[in-house]
Order: sequence, then structure tokens, then C-alpha cells
Amino acid sequence: MATGTEFEYAACSKYEAVLEDYLEGALSAADARNAENHWRDCAACRDALEQATASVRLLRAAGPSDGPGPAFARVVMARIREAEQDRSAERAGLWQPIVSLAWRFAATAMLALGVLITYDAGWWRHAQPDVTTARLIGVTDLLSPEPARPPADRDEVLMMVADNNHAK
Amino acid sequence: MVASAPALTLPLDRKVKKEEDRELVRLSQGGTETAFEELVRRHQQRVFALVGGILRRPEDVEDVAQQVFLKAYLGIKRFDQRAAFSTWLYKIAVNECWDYLRKKKVRPLVYEADLSEEQVSRLDGIVSADRPPEGPNARAEAREVLDRMLASLPEQDRQLLVLKEMEGFSVQELAEILDLNVNTVKVRLFRARGRIMDVYRRRMDAGKKSAGSRPARRNG
Repeated sequence: MATGTEFEYAACSKYEAVLEDYLEGALSAADARNAENHWRDCAACRDALEQATASVRLLRAAGPSDGPGPAFARVVMARIREAEQDRSAERAGLWQPIVSLAWRFAATAMLALGVLITYDAGWWRHAQPDVTTARLIGVTDLLSPEPARPPADRDEVLMMVADNNHAK
Repeated sequence: MVASAPALTLPLDRKVKKEEDRELVRLSQGGTETAFEELVRRHQQRVFALVGGILRRPEDVEDVAQQVFLKAYLGIKRFDQRAAFSTWLYKIAVNECWDYLRKKKVRPLVYEADLSEEQVSRLDGIVSADRPPEGPNARAEAREVLDRMLASLPEQDRQLLVLKEMEGFSVQELAEILDLNVNTVKVRLFRARGRIMDVYRRRMDAGKKSAGSRPARRNG
């Protein structure tokens, strides 16, 4: 039974898809024979097939759209390279403040580390008595007067100042 | 009498081409630019046909087609090759066309007018006697007339007919590109054919009537 569509040429719903296969030449020989037998008996389907065949002729009259020019692929690749460059520049622009901040942080950290190391080395030298000097002092202790050593606390400083004044 | 069907011709080396495409995609994913350029060369004709079929505006086709390949290049690392490269690429093309039309806020076709007497007679010749127009001018005219007729169809019908009959896409390809069931495509195509033939018949009748009502030209 023909389907009730809004256009004039309607086929049996069962044969709508079959008709497309037939037009495309995609039906097996047996299926094509079955369909042809049906169309022989069904006027609606026969009309629909004729109209569908005419539509193929009508639509193919115009032919396909114009194809691309010979330089199309090269133009595409140039556009891709341009887009890639833009993307890299954009990416670099996005990371620039973070990179700059990281460098500043690293420089500050290095400076702080340097100061700490210098301070630490000074303190260590100060806290550890020099072994060689200590040994020498030990040997010459009995022969020579007490070698000059830096005052250890405030009282010693005051004593040193008083001694100096007294000597003068 | 039953009309004879045109034979379906599928390229014999289609499988080989698909395999080659897979390899080219793999190389492109690894950053080989020349491999992608080869993919562009292989698919540019079909992408042009697809974009041209949807937009029907020759002046916009090249720009949109370039955009399609650019998007494909930028997304190729994420393409898992479960579908064929061509299917993936054509889907990008369809989406790009719709984006483009949406941005431009235009319908693919906007004009409709009556046919002249000469056009009616030429179209009649094409349809009844299968006489394809000869020469680029005749084809351009046929295209213009057809575009006018297709403008009166729903968008999906127009798209299916143009891609199938003018641009040469198969039912299978259309189903993959438009995310439709193969049977749905067949049924919709069949109905779209009925609609375009209705439009054709109405235009032909109107053209013949207007030619008949025109006063005869007097000589001297």
C-alpha cells in the first residue's frame, strides 16, 4: 500500500529503501528481480521509481561543485604553520609571567642561600678552634708568653681596654 | 516499464587507500607535516564537494574547506582511528559548515524565481531524454536553476539530494557523516526525490503556462 505523503509520487513503504538500493545498483540479482516483479503489479511504486530515476537525471545535470585549485594543499599547510606559530606565541605569552616570577624567586633563593652559607662558615670557623694553632700553642705554651687572643666576653674587652690604657 | 538503475561503481583500491590513510594519520600524529599534507591532497576534492554541497556558495567554499583541514590538523592527535579518517574529516566539515552558516545567519540558499521558457525546455530535455547539458555555461545554468528548485525543499532533503546526486556521496557515507541510520537515509532520500520532482513539475507547468499566455511576436 502506498504511503500517504504530501507529494504526488508515493511508493509502498516497504519498497522505499529498496528503491534507493535499486537506483544505486546495490540490490542482489534475486532482490532486484523480486522488486521488479512488485513494480510490475504496483502502479504507485512504478510511478515512484520513474520519478526517482528522473530525479537522478535532473540532479546530475548540474554536476559536482568546482574542485580546489592546484595550490590548495600548500595554502592549507601555510595556514597551519601560521596557526602553529600563533599558538606557540600565545603559549609563550601565557607562561611568561610565571617563568619570570620563577626566575626572580630562584635568584632570591640563591642569594639567601649564599648569605646563609657565608654566615654559617664564619660561625663555624669561630666556634671550632684551629687544631694546628692549638697544637702549636700547646708546644710553645711553656716557652712563650700567652699569645694574643680575641676577647671572649664584655669583661675581657673592658679588661683589654684598661690594660692598654695602663700601658700607655 | 521499469527504469534501469545506474550501476554503482566503488573504487577497487578503497581498502588500500584506507590503510594508507591510517599510516598517514599515524605519521601526522607523530608530527610529520608532509604526511598531513598528503592527507589534504587525498581528501581536498571530497571536502570541497561536501562543503560546496551544503553551502552552495562558491565564494565561501575555499575558506571553509581550509578551516576544516586546520581543525583536523589541530585535533589529529586526539583522533583514535576507530572510524575511517575520511568519516572523521567529513564530520568536521559538516559541523564547520553549520557553524559558518550560523555565524553568518544565512540559509544556504535564499532566492527563488520563475523559470524562463528556454530554461523550461532545456530542463525538459535533460529529464525526459537524459541529455546532460554540454559545456560549462550550460552546466552553470542548470546548476542555478536546480539551486532555485532545491531552495523550496526542507534543508535536510536539499542536503541529502545535493550530496548524493550532485557530489557523489554514497548512502553509506551519508549515514556516517550525518549520524543517521542507513535505512533512514534511504527512506529520506526517496521522499526527497518525490518532493524535488513535485517542485520540478510545478515549475515546468508554471513555465509552460506563462509561455502560452505570452502574446505572439509580430514581424514587421
